[in-house]
Amino acid sequence: MAVRAQFENSNEIGVFSKLTNSYCLVALGGSENFYSVFESELGDVVPVVHTSIGGTRIIGRLTAGNRRGLLVPNSTTDQELQHIRNSLPDSVAIQRIEERLSALGNVIACNDYVALVHPDLDRETEEIIADVLGVEVFRQTIADNVLIGSYCALSNQGGLVHPRTSLQDQDELSSLLQVPLVAGTVNRGSDVIGAGLVVNDWSAFAGMDTTSTELSVVESIFKLQDAQPSAIVGDMRDSLIDNFS
Amino acid sequence: MASIYNFKKIAPVPDAGDFLDIVLSKTQRKTPTVVHPGYKITRIRQFYMRKVKFTQDTFDEKLRQILEEFPVLDNVHPFYADLMNVLYDKDHYKLALGQTNTARHLIDAVAKDYVRLLKFGDSLYRCKQLKRAALGRMATIMKRQRDSLSYLEQVRQHLARLPSIDPNTRTLIVCGFPNVGKSSFMNKVTRADVDVQPYAFTTKSLFVGHMDYKYLRWQVIDTPGILDHPLEERNTIEMQSITALAHLRAAVLFFTDLSEQCGYSIADQMSLFRSIKPLFANKPTLLVISKTDVCTLDDVKPEERQLIEAAAEDGVEVAQLSSHLDTGVIETRNLACDKLLQQRVEAKLRGQQVTGVLNKINVAQPARRDTVERPPFIPDAVAKRRKYDPQDPDRMVLERDLEAAGGGAGVYSVDLNKHYLLSSDEWKHDAIPEIMDGKNVADFVDADIDERLAELEREEEKLAAEGLYDSPEESEDEEDRRIRTMAQRIRERKQIMAQEARTKNVNRATLAGKQRAIAANSNAPEDFVNHLQQLGLDSDAAQATADRVNRKRQRSESRNPAVELAKRSTSLAARAISVQRDRSAMGFRDARHKAVGDRKQVAAMRKMNTAGRAGEADRKILAKMPKHLFTGKRSNGTNDRR
Repeated sequence: MAVRAQFENSNEIGVFSKLTNSYCLVALGGSENFYSVFESELGDVVPVVHTSIGGTRIIGRLTAGNRRGLLVPNSTTDQELQHIRNSLPDSVAIQRIEERLSALGNVIACNDYVALVHPDLDRETEEIIADVLGVEVFRQTIADNVLIGSYCALSNQGGLVHPRTSLQDQDELSSLLQVPLVAGTVNRGSDVIGAGLVVNDWSAFAGMDTTSTELSVVESIFKLQDAQPSAIVGDMRDSLIDNFS
Repeated sequence: MASIYNFKKIAPVPDAGDFLDIVLSKTQRKTPTVVHPGYKITRIRQFYMRKVKFTQDTFDEKLRQILEEFPVLDNVHPFYADLMNVLYDKDHYKLALGQTNTARHLIDAVAKDYVRLLKFGDSLYRCKQLKRAALGRMATIMKRQRDSLSYLEQVRQHLARLPSIDPNTRTLIVCGFPNVGKSSFMNKVTRADVDVQPYAFTTKSLFVGHMDYKYLRWQVIDTPGILDHPLEERNTIEMQSITALAHLRAAVLFFTDLSEQCGYSIADQMSLFRSIKPLFANKPTLLVISKTDVCTLDDVKPEERQLIEAAAEDGVEVAQLSSHLDTGVIETRNLACDKLLQQRVEAKLRGQQVTGVLNKINVAQPARRDTVERPPFIPDAVAKRRKYDPQDPDRMVLERDLEAAGGGAGVYSVDLNKHYLLSSDEWKHDAIPEIMDGKNVADFVDADIDERLAELEREEEKLAAEGLYDSPEESEDEEDRRIRTMAQRIRERKQIMAQEARTKNVNRATLAGKQRAIAANSNAPEDFVNHLQQLGLDSDAAQATADRVNRKRQRSESRNPAVELAKRSTSLAARAISVQRDRSAMGFRDARHKAVGDRKQVAAMRKMNTAGRAGEADRKILAKMPKHLFTGKRSNGTNDRR
């Protein structure tokens, strides 16, 4: 199910939340509206946790994680770490990483099996990612952008990548990730997919500006509500061509 | 794209009288108002020139704003240009804007003339009269613009109420004779809520509605009915329909009423279709038969049916619908949309733009690189959970509901701990100190601490059992004890020495301090002798050394102590009387030494004296009468100078 949401008038909800198959982190805001959007969709399935990272609300950009683990940057305070540890199930490993590129959400894109990371990431960090998240790690760029986490959204069922990703890159990334990929936009043409969209295997949340065409692409590629990626090349093809060009 | 054709933001155009009031009152408010005949004439001239120039600037700015805001017919989309021609008459519109522009130039010229004349104004009165004349002429020019300004205001009001039609987007145009059910269809497919009445020309202008189909936004344009007569005879209302049909790349739905309830025969309607058919070239066209609840294609006479079928040739499709019964409406809409979309996509695929979207319509399928299965992870609870419904009375209580109940945003404080997953629920709200004994508690947190403690204790017990901690026999021989007592004494002595050093409080940093310290320590040799005696050691050699050291401080060893003492007493006696001493001789050892010094001084000053330069020792008076000391009132009474 793809849902539109907004964090305090900002459509960049991927900045203020982190969604995986076993937990969801949500920034502390002025009101509980944003939290409740997640709560109403995920409430009784996975824990939805209020948190800050290093006193900031940009938790989606600072953390990286999947079903098995959560990586937080070294700016995370001991109290925040304790709070997250108490709130997440024991099956989720939490690791604080000493990494120069501390916006881990921007430099790491991962699902439960594969992670794509910034080419300049520490070797040590790469090993920690492999151990804590239980994934294969590949150093990659996306449409010549090194911030791979900002420009794509991944789940175990599919992935949405930067709108300027070439067909060859798409095929290569798809083979690494072993999921179907499509290039696209969110939030009425925004190319920062990671900031405008958070997904897991059964739900997706996009910024309030996302058009119905964009949202239907999201539902198809992530196989939400029995939609299939084949719809993009079938039904929706004409609409997409007319809309984008 | 749509925002380009937004005419709602044009500022209102005041009529000529208001225009004058606005400009003149602004001049009055924003320029100086006080001038006196006694002022210098340049100042008076400048005062009035400023008024004239300011008035001209204000006129110029306001007129320019009008000229910039109104759309230029040559620059807008041909649809809008034509529509404005139909509605407002292109010539009239251009003339009005042209006159406004001329007025602006005239006002500029008037201001220029009068500013030049003002340069020669020789009195306040003349300058004032010149200013009056300038403003008066500007006002006259503006008053002549009364008609064009009021026309522009009307155009503005009408433009602002035009529907915002985007000429480039996906569009359906509904057209046909009056009263054939165009607006009813419009109301069915969009939420435009157009007025529907059982008489002709209910719709007198273009109406726009929007709908969603295939994830896209579509605009539907409802046009006024058109009659079958030559173009020249068409009135403004019909011409709007023609404009829309001519310029918008859209799907056309030509509505016909076979029941002839509209008052026009089928033959008439088909004849209109044929006559406006050139406008449908290259557009997907549907011949829509409406009101099928009254009369369908099967009910009409064969010759009329033939007419219809003749019209429905070369690509024109026939659709039937009844807005009354709601049959065929959606099918007709879908048919029209599909045809238009197909045409647009084909056109775009032929163009260059499509290369940019190829990756958006391509799903990259992974090539298998290994045999690992990577299944999605969807908990069973997802399938079982009920979808959240805000209307459901047993719905889940959200944080938002709690917030609303707890005083709303900003008042409600969320309980962050309530969802903690701990062994015991009682622990959730336990306060945990952050800092304890000056140490960060978190640094000592260890998940396995209990286990490790237990392990450590086990190890300890094992070691204890093995007898590692059994102390060996104490054995201290004579030598050890002697060393121990000696060491004890050395430590005590060291402490005493340290204390003594502290009590002396010597500032070792300064030389004087060092000397004082030496003075204070002058009995050190004696101390050493005493110390040796205390220890019961032979102190004779030390005593000899002490004597020698103390003696060493005198100048000469051959001096007689008695003479020394006598000398000291005489100097003491001399000090008792205050004597003025010769300062020039101070610092010299004796008279000979002084003579040498004096000679050197003369030699050093010779150069300076021969050059005759002023030295720092020369007396000088820089200012004879410093101004600040001699001007202004004196504090005490008056001064005859004033």
